[in-house]
Amino acid sequence: MDAPPKPILLVSEVRRDFGGLRAVDGASFKALPGRITGLIGPNGAGKSTLIGIIGGQIKPTAGSITFDGQDITGLAPHRIARRGLVRTFQLSAEFTKLTVLENLLVAVPNQKGESLLGAELSRLYWGRTEAANVDAARDVLDRFAMTPKENELAGNLSGGQKRLLEIMRALMTKPKMLLLDEPFAGVNPTLAREIEQYLLDLRAEGLSMIMVEHELAVVERLCDPVVVMAQGKVISEGSMRDVTARQEVLDAYLVG
Amino acid sequence: MSDAMQFYITTLLIYLFIDIMGVLGLNLQFGVAGIINFAYIVFVGVGAYTAAVVSLGPDYPGNFQHYVFGASWPFPLPILAGGAAAGLLSLVVGVISLRRLRSDYQAMVMLVLSLIATLIASNATGLVNGPAGLATVPQPLFDQLGLSYLEYDWVYAGWCFFLTVLIFLFVRAITRSPLGRTLRAMRDNDRAAAAVGKNITALRLMIFVVGGVIAGISGAVFVEFIQAWSPGSWLYPETFVFLAAILVGGSANNWGVMLGTLLVPVGFLEVTRYLPPIFYQGFIEAMQWVCVGLLILLFLWFRPNGIFPEKPGRFKPRAAAQSGPAD
Repeated sequence: MDAPPKPILLVSEVRRDFGGLRAVDGASFKALPGRITGLIGPNGAGKSTLIGIIGGQIKPTAGSITFDGQDITGLAPHRIARRGLVRTFQLSAEFTKLTVLENLLVAVPNQKGESLLGAELSRLYWGRTEAANVDAARDVLDRFAMTPKENELAGNLSGGQKRLLEIMRALMTKPKMLLLDEPFAGVNPTLAREIEQYLLDLRAEGLSMIMVEHELAVVERLCDPVVVMAQGKVISEGSMRDVTARQEVLDAYLVG
Repeated sequence: MSDAMQFYITTLLIYLFIDIMGVLGLNLQFGVAGIINFAYIVFVGVGAYTAAVVSLGPDYPGNFQHYVFGASWPFPLPILAGGAAAGLLSLVVGVISLRRLRSDYQAMVMLVLSLIATLIASNATGLVNGPAGLATVPQPLFDQLGLSYLEYDWVYAGWCFFLTVLIFLFVRAITRSPLGRTLRAMRDNDRAAAAVGKNITALRLMIFVVGGVIAGISGAVFVEFIQAWSPGSWLYPETFVFLAAILVGGSANNWGVMLGTLLVPVGFLEVTRYLPPIFYQGFIEAMQWVCVGLLILLFLWFRPNGIFPEKPGRFKPRAAAQSGPAD
């Protein structure tokens, strides 16, 4: 038997208070590389807050987050993203007045023409890398069958296409891990199945993911292990079959 | 052409070019980067005051006006000083207000800043001569050139045109580049931009300072033409005239906002200035403000993207060999 792989993400005793409300109450779990770790739980369990803390949008009151061997607790979101931990949002977060292709290009790290000096040096300076980035973005569009939408303004896409766009955009940063906050919310069933397959493909390529999802059937197909939260705490961790067999999980869903 | 006509035309041209510079700077901040800077005119004002005090010569007892610093810097140093001072103030204001606050609160901070700045300039009389303002600012190179007043105005119009082209090229290099794209992305969704690794605080601060420098330069060039500057020249509603130009012409579209400048601050305000007075003194001026407000409302309602809407980036299609059906 192999030694268990080192976790890529370690969430340890994280707490977050909003005034008197303790939204996350000492949550701990770990995510393994190359897996899709599901984060489930009833409404108000603290999943989105925890995702926000991992992504850097929300500062934790206490606790620590270790990603890829480094402490990232309380870092600014862009610093966390640059380390390879990139999140998507529960509500669509496309750049509305940019085209689909531009949305992807924005996400490319360290672009030559992205500094003031670089911009003023004009296309002569940044044109070549830009062309390479456009190529890379078109490869991603091809892969996700979004090429026909290349020049569409992102704000005009359907709800499902926006979710897909966000995933593609996150991939442009070459992440080590994706944090997907309800990636199937508002997506029609056909496109949802396609996105599922894309996520499975990405996993097969070794990309690690954490996914918050309400649809348990989807979680069962994609996620292993599954982390169950209720009232700010992690109440169970294991395979879907294991956790759904546990009484406290059933209680949380029925009562919560 | 009669002298009066020439004077009228050169003045309008100079106003147009100077307003275009100002609007291009505000468009970078507001149209491209989404920073709601209701204090933009303050940075124009700082540029103007700075250019004035570094060219008026040292203050002396018994002078009819009093001000700080006082020097006789040669052309074009006052303009550069105006830009630098406005940029420096932008940096200070930006560091304080752009880091933590949400954009709607930033807008309020800017509006309040605009009111405070006018009060300070009016009441700290030793600073820039209080409510009376500064006058007799020398026109650059007037003696050296040895031209008549009218000839000088034509040369000055040409100088303003030259500066406008420079600033336009500078701004366009930003809006066409990956930097411009990233700024537009930040405007559309700053959380998402941060989530893909963009340092939005640094980006905001940078473009705020760049816009501030442009504002300062436009103010400096303006004061060297009209030779006087007082708190009444840069009241907070002036910023809304610039915003109206941007919204009418087309936010984040450089050509659009230049057309907007031709239509609103110049066409609308300058031309109506010459209408015969009706009803009572000041009626036309009051109506101008009402109309600027209505114009903003109408455009936001019926044509929110302006006359020339923002143009997203287009890229050359991939070489046809790879894909696409053969015909």
